[in-house]
Amino acid sequence: MKLRSIRVEQLRQFRQPVCIEDLADGINLFTGPNESGKSTLVRAIRAAFFERHKSASVEDLQPWGDSSAAPRVTLEFDWGGERWRLVKSFLRQKRCDLQVGGRAFSGEEAEERLAELLGFQFPGRGASRPEHWGIPGLLWIEQGTGHDLQQAVAFAGEHLKSALGRSLGEVASSAGDEVLARVERERAQLLTSTGRPTGEYQRAIVEHEEQGAALEQLDADLAAYREQVDRLGELLERMREDHRRPWEEFRRQAAEAATRLAEVRSAQAEQQRAREQLEEARAAQRVCRERLLAFDEQERELHDRGEKQRVAVQALADLRAAQPAIAARLERAQAAHGAARDALQVAHQQEQRAQLQDKVAQLANELEAAAERLGRAQTLQAGLRSLREELQSTDIDTRRLGRLKKDARALEDLALQERTVATRLRFELHPERHLVLGDETLTGHGERLLLEPVRLRVEGVGDLQIQPGGEDLTELLRQRERLQDAVAAALAALRVASVAQAEERVERARTLRHEIERRESLLGEIAPEGIDALQEALQLERSRLGGLHASLAELPAATAGAASVKEAQRAAERASEELDAARRAAADREREVGIAEHTLAHAGAECQRAEALVQAPDRRRQVDESQAKLVELLAAERALQETIATRQLAIDAARPAVLEQDQRRLNASADSLEHEAQAREREFHRLQSSLEAQGAHGIEERRAATQQALELAARRREQLARRAGALDLLLGLLRAKRQELTRRLQAPLQRHLNHYLQLLFAQASLDVDENLVPQTLVRRVDGADQHGDVLALSFGAREQTGLISRLAYADLLQEAGRPTLIILDDALVHTDRERLAQMKRILFDAAGRHQILLFSCHPEDWRDLGVAAREMRSL
Amino acid sequence: MPRLLHTADWQIGRQYPRFEPEDAAALAEARITTVETIAAIAREERVDAVLVAGDVFDAQTVSDRTIRRLFNALAAYPGPWFMIPGNHDAALAESVWTRAQRLGAVPANAQLLLQPGVYAFEALGFAVLAAPLTQRHTYGDLSDWFDRAETAPGLLRIGLAHGSVQGVLAEDIDSPNPIAADRVARARLAYLALGDWHGAKCIDERCWYSGTPEQDRFKDNGAGQVLLVDIPADGSAPRVEPRKSGQYAWHAWQFRLDVDTDLDRLAQELERLAPHSVLQLDIEGRLDLAGRQRLQEILAVAEARQRALLTDLSGLRLQPSESDIAALQADGYLGDVLAALRDRQADAADALAREALVILAGLLGERAAGEVR
Repeated sequence: MKLRSIRVEQLRQFRQPVCIEDLADGINLFTGPNESGKSTLVRAIRAAFFERHKSASVEDLQPWGDSSAAPRVTLEFDWGGERWRLVKSFLRQKRCDLQVGGRAFSGEEAEERLAELLGFQFPGRGASRPEHWGIPGLLWIEQGTGHDLQQAVAFAGEHLKSALGRSLGEVASSAGDEVLARVERERAQLLTSTGRPTGEYQRAIVEHEEQGAALEQLDADLAAYREQVDRLGELLERMREDHRRPWEEFRRQAAEAATRLAEVRSAQAEQQRAREQLEEARAAQRVCRERLLAFDEQERELHDRGEKQRVAVQALADLRAAQPAIAARLERAQAAHGAARDALQVAHQQEQRAQLQDKVAQLANELEAAAERLGRAQTLQAGLRSLREELQSTDIDTRRLGRLKKDARALEDLALQERTVATRLRFELHPERHLVLGDETLTGHGERLLLEPVRLRVEGVGDLQIQPGGEDLTELLRQRERLQDAVAAALAALRVASVAQAEERVERARTLRHEIERRESLLGEIAPEGIDALQEALQLERSRLGGLHASLAELPAATAGAASVKEAQRAAERASEELDAARRAAADREREVGIAEHTLAHAGAECQRAEALVQAPDRRRQVDESQAKLVELLAAERALQETIATRQLAIDAARPAVLEQDQRRLNASADSLEHEAQAREREFHRLQSSLEAQGAHGIEERRAATQQALELAARRREQLARRAGALDLLLGLLRAKRQELTRRLQAPLQRHLNHYLQLLFAQASLDVDENLVPQTLVRRVDGADQHGDVLALSFGAREQTGLISRLAYADLLQEAGRPTLIILDDALVHTDRERLAQMKRILFDAAGRHQILLFSCHPEDWRDLGVAAREMRSL
Repeated sequence: MPRLLHTADWQIGRQYPRFEPEDAAALAEARITTVETIAAIAREERVDAVLVAGDVFDAQTVSDRTIRRLFNALAAYPGPWFMIPGNHDAALAESVWTRAQRLGAVPANAQLLLQPGVYAFEALGFAVLAAPLTQRHTYGDLSDWFDRAETAPGLLRIGLAHGSVQGVLAEDIDSPNPIAADRVARARLAYLALGDWHGAKCIDERCWYSGTPEQDRFKDNGAGQVLLVDIPADGSAPRVEPRKSGQYAWHAWQFRLDVDTDLDRLAQELERLAPHSVLQLDIEGRLDLAGRQRLQEILAVAEARQRALLTDLSGLRLQPSESDIAALQADGYLGDVLAALRDRQADAADALAREALVILAGLLGERAAGEVR
């Protein structure tokens, strides 16, 4: 379909007719600012198609305030090889005329033809609304709705699907979705979405399981019941035996065993008594033997005591025999001891004498040395005295000398100063001529320093008063006088003629002092405490020497060959030790003799006592009696042993332990048999009543009823399971087949979509849902597929995908032989520059197949679209 | 010449879980009414005694009411009724019999032969050698002592036992409660009345199984009768004559559907079947949707006529024909689904696919009907 011309009259701001002709097959770009009539033009086209010419709801088409206007739109377009001309006027002049080739249609007939051609509907009444717009609603994008695809697709859905269907030559199932919904509902009554049983089916399963459990319980009850019945039969059998009272036989046997046991027991008692007698006889024997042993002991004791007494006598005699030798040793030791002490005293005196002689010799030497030292000290002292006297006369006050030297130097300095400051009088006189300067007569040539006013007399001329300049000179003169006075005074005081002489005397004094110091220290060494002390000490030594000579005279004269003190002392010690040893030996022997005497006395007494016992009067008789009794007791023991052995044989043969066990065992058997019988009887009665009670409940009848219920539940469960399975299978098949069909139907659309999409996003694809609305945008990001819901995209991206989708629908419709006209009113206003460039390529591509009317208030955005823009204001 | 009525295996208290509750109740009830029928036959035929050869009760713990109802059902015939316990109602220490006695439900005309022994009835001219089961199962022949049992001269010796005659009932070779095949001859019996086998069976001219008087399984072996036995006093062979006692006949049919006319045949055969039967009907083969509809109708008619109808259609394949699909207006992917389900049944019967097909056909059928309206 190609729009060729548009003419608008008396419509909103187009009060005057506006005609647009020469519309291109591809893109037609209309630009102009707001309010320039773009939207009015779009509205006019929409009204021409969508609004009933008779509609009263199109007052918005009137120019402002002009209710008498008859808005009119005239459209010319080519379709199906024919020229179509539509003239539609509203309100004042309600009219619709359509010429197709040579045929003319008017009124509603014309409108219906248009609706059928383009795929839209007219409203029942009132103004046309989006739900009526069908395919044009999808392809004609109004301002600001480019992003909202869902609704437009929904309103165009039927037309789109039929277009698709026709292109495929297939018809979608008319009943399919209804049946699918029914199956879904039916299945949902039995199965959850995850396939778990629910509702009636689940109840049937629960019922079946409950009945199964009940049956199991009843089976268990029945088994228990049968067991009880069997037990009852068994008890009945046993009770028949019990009636013969089998335990009584055991009781009788037990009694028999008891009788025999009593007999054995009495034999055992006798045996015990016999054993006791045997024991008594043996005890009496032991007493007899002990008595006899005691008698023997007494005799042996007497013998021992006699022996001991003899030993004691001998020991005493031996000790006494050795006593004189010990006394002699003591005497020897005492004599040796006295001699050793005397020798020691002599040795001491000899040693003292030698020592005194040594001291006398030493002292004499010392005296000699001391006298010599005293002589030297006295000489030194005399020398010292004369040196000190000389020093006294030569010594000069060094401080004064210092001042003198200072003054003398100052005087020299002053003289130098005077020479520089003084007025110089240089003269070269003619021979024989002279000058008198002050008192001096000057002749020849020379120079004089004038320091003070002086009168120069020139003979024949007069006097010249020369006044040396400056006060300094006067001051200097004064200073020189003062210093000269000071120097003269100092020399006088020091009693020297010159400074040099003074220094000479200082040097001499220093030499003297050194000499004095040297001699003083020498004297200090010889007589540290002075010469008087030295003399005193000498006197003392001499008196000590006198004393020592006196002591030496008192001591006996020296004897030759006397032992040394050390040897004498060792000899004395040895003698003392020997004396001690001899004394100890004497004392020990004394004590031993005493002990031996005591032992002898004791042994004698004991010997007497033992003899008394052995010699007692009836001892013999007692010994005889005891021996006779022992013989008697031995015979009694033998007799008893025989009796016991014989009786024991009899007792062992009767085996009392076994008899006792028999008795216990038999009694216990009888008791347990009787108890068991009683227990059986009790159990029998208990079981019988229990079974009677249970029998009345009819377990097996109930079991049969339960089984019947179980089978019924199983049948119902199976039926429902089969129905659920069948519904599940059916639903799965329906969905699979439906999906398969949908995919086949959508394939062409998908192809067109992806064609455009490649120009916008490389390697991207757009999935559409069964209503043909784009759902998911799949893009390659960093080598991985990224899925994004179209509705979640940015506004701009939605706008772009919206436009792409619409172009794809247009392609699809065109393939199905449907007319396509695309109108974009201010589209892509939210698209950035880069994307816009791509969208322009897309639009240019689409324009090769479809006519596109593009309205924009941004002419600069569309300059590179490849077509000239029409300025709205130029129309 | 004593005239006896021989019966056994009454199985009072038996339940039928495979059947719908209503049918099961009727079948259980029939067992007691059949005893009433037996009493009526006994009275009509003026028999000298009724011999009941074991398994009077189906279980030991039937309810008290059931016990009372059974003994009440004997009332029409004054007796005597000679009953021995079988394996289902063995005379255990505690049994249905001790309970019946405790309840005081046993009428004077019923004689319970609970202990093995010779019960002589001079007035009737015979002695009963009873071999009751006192355990649930025995592996020795309880009738063994018959050979050595003494009876008064002049009295006919009539055996009454419950078990499997050895070597005769092939499938019961290893079964418990054996009975020697030559017992009659060795014990010099005039007649041996046996129970346990539910069909009527003649072992030899003096030895019979009467079978159960009311059929209780799908086995056509002469069940549902009692035996009228006339024993000549001269010791010659007894005359045995079956009498029908059962209410419901049980049938098991296998039916194959391949062509459309098979359905007509089925309908005819069902019509021919006596009403109030118990029928097990296993159908296999293939059907289209229209045929299935017709089958449902035929079965509904039969169900109403008969006492109980058990059907098994698991071997049936459902294969919609082209005309079925056209009628269902299954266009678009519904057609694909139908085809897929049909394909799944092409090779074998697939219960789920068949059910799914039925559901889909039902939904489409409803829809088509709605559109027609």
